[in-house]
Formats: sequence, structure tokens, C-alpha cells
Amino acid sequence: MFNQLVYEFALWLDAGRWSTLLHESYYMYSWVETTHVLSLIPSVGILFLIDLRMLGLALPQVPASVIAGRLQWPMFIGFGLMVTTGLLLFYAIPVRSAQSVWFRLKVILLLGAALNAIVFHYRMKRSVAHWDNAAVAPKALRRGALLSLLFWTLIVICGRLIAYDWFDCSHGPSGFIAVFAGCIEGQTEF
Amino acid sequence: MLPTFLNSWRRSIATLAVSGVALGFGFSAWRVNAWEALQPLFAWMETSWLGAIGKTWGGVFAVVEAMHLLAMAMLGGALLVSDGRLLGWLLRDVPVTLLLCRAHRVFVIGLVAALATGMFMACAVATKIYFLPVFWIKMLALAVGVLFTFAIKRPLLADGIEDLHPWVVRAVAVASLTVWFTVAASGRWIGFSG
Repeated sequence: MFNQLVYEFALWLDAGRWSTLLHESYYMYSWVETTHVLSLIPSVGILFLIDLRMLGLALPQVPASVIAGRLQWPMFIGFGLMVTTGLLLFYAIPVRSAQSVWFRLKVILLLGAALNAIVFHYRMKRSVAHWDNAAVAPKALRRGALLSLLFWTLIVICGRLIAYDWFDCSHGPSGFIAVFAGCIEGQTEF
Repeated sequence: MLPTFLNSWRRSIATLAVSGVALGFGFSAWRVNAWEALQPLFAWMETSWLGAIGKTWGGVFAVVEAMHLLAMAMLGGALLVSDGRLLGWLLRDVPVTLLLCRAHRVFVIGLVAALATGMFMACAVATKIYFLPVFWIKMLALAVGVLFTFAIKRPLLADGIEDLHPWVVRAVAVASLTVWFTVAASGRWIGFSG
């Protein structure tokens, strides 16, 4: 049911003229993809710096609240750019992306990373006054920072693997892969 | 070695000399000769065990590619924060020398990781990238970036930022961001070429 809905939504997107134009435009598609990759610098690059600060591995002399508070806006701009270009990339190749195991895994990991970030934010807000100048954050926050590093490493790996067609529905995978990818029996468009 | 009155200009003279040599190299037959001389090295790289691993296991190549991107993010993030500070956009209340020193460590770790993973990737597709102009643009930009960071930016700022004209500091930050952006963007473009 869910997979059928996703497939039909992807087909509807795919039928749009702009989706085909974007996919078939050599320069436009490449520019959007390049921007998506380069947006890793202001987003994940700055996030890693904040996480490393919490672990005491980068800028330990600077108060944690200064690093997290002042760097969050350039980081959000980076993530905004990443999400926008990511949606455009999905829009350009909707059916294949929606049925990619790597894309689906990436979305799950993105949700996990977002949840971890929210928990981290609230924990930090509640306790930072007690340890702001300490070189290393308390254990719970260090765990959050490590999880963040792990989530984003896996997200980037999954993002890169989307380009590979090993488990594409067009190859007729079976079992768990076919279910997880959302392949539809008898589907004619990929 | 230089006359005393030229001592304060030694870095500018060295920069001009290196730029002159690079330009002479770029617009002469040396460039083509050097490129031709490198072909056996690239052919060997592809047959090396690193090349064999990268060519045989697509999954390993993809994961190393992802690590290359993460290293780029780390390097770029550290650069963005330190150059953003020099431009007066970020962390203005953090002492500039402390920030530059600490962010530079992260930058160096990112650079080493990017070089190591980049070397692995280059081995797997060596004979292909050898013929791609965009690969050589990236290598040139990388060489300029490394030279600029370690031979110009670091020593210049280490001498005391307070003594420099604010516009010189800003120009250094803009040059640094521009050259490393060129490295990253031309690197991505390798994937679209050939």
C-alpha cells in the first residue's frame, strides 16, 4: 500500500515537463548536483566542528555555547541549500530515487539525525550554564555528538551509493531488498 | 641572502618568483613534456594494488568516495569558520589567533584525509583522469591552495594580524575561500567528465 502510493506519487512527478527538463539538462543537473555536494561544507563541515568541540577535540578553549550558538546560522543556511538541491535532484529522477534502497536508508538516517539534533539541542540548552567553559561536554552530550558524526557519515555514504544501480527495481531484486526498495510487481516504468 | 632593505619584501618576491615560474611552465612546451612524461606513472597507478582494489570492488570505491566528501566537508568547514572570522562575519568575539590556530588543525586533518582518499580514487581511474583537463585544473588549484595556505596565509597571519591592513586580511580570506572552492568544485566536475 505504502510502496504503491510512493510509486504513484513518483510517477506523477516524473510526468511533469520540468522534471524531464532538469534531468536531461547536462549543465543544470550537474550544477544542482555540484551545489548539493558543496553544501556539505557549510552544513556538515560546520556541524562536525561543533560535534568535535563537544568531544573536546576542536577549539576546547572557546565556550561551547559560543561555538554552537554562533555557528548554527551559517550551518542552517548550508542545510537549507542541501535540502533544496536534494529535493530538486529527487524531482529530476523521482521513480528511480523513490525506489532506491540507499535513498530510503538515507531518509531514515536523516530522520534519526534530526531527532538526535533536537534531543542534543534541548539537553545542551538545559545544562550548558554548568559546563560552558569545560573542554569536554557531559557524557550525554558527548554521546549525542558521536551519534551525530556517525549519522552524517552514514548519510553521506548512502547519498553516494544512490548513484549505483546494484539493487534497482529494473534488475528485479527479490526478497527483503525488493520490499525495502518498494518495487511494484509488473511495474513498467523505472 | 637578500639585501637588508629587501628583507621585509622577501615573501612578496618569493611569491612573484613562484608565480613567474608557474606561468612560464604553463605557457611553454615544458607543460606538454611534463604531461607526457607522467603517462607511465598513471598507467602504473592503475595496475597497482590500490588501483586493482578500486576497480574490482565498486562498493569500496563508493565508500572511499564518501570519505573523500566527508574530508572535504571537514577541511571546508574549518576554512569557512577561520576565513569567516578574518572577514569579520563569524565568531567576532573569539580571539582571532586562537581560532585560526585551532581551526587549522582540523583543516590539516581534513586535508590529509582528502589526499589519502583522493589518491586511492585516482589509482582506480588513473588512465581516464590523465586525459581529463578538469583533473589537471583540480591538481593545479590544489597545489595553489596548499602553497597559498602554508607559504603565504599562515606565515603572513602568524607575524601579527594587528599589524596588517584590514583589507589585506580580508583579501587573504577571500583568496583562500576562492582557491579552495575551485578545488572542491573542479573535483566534483571530474565525475561529470570523460
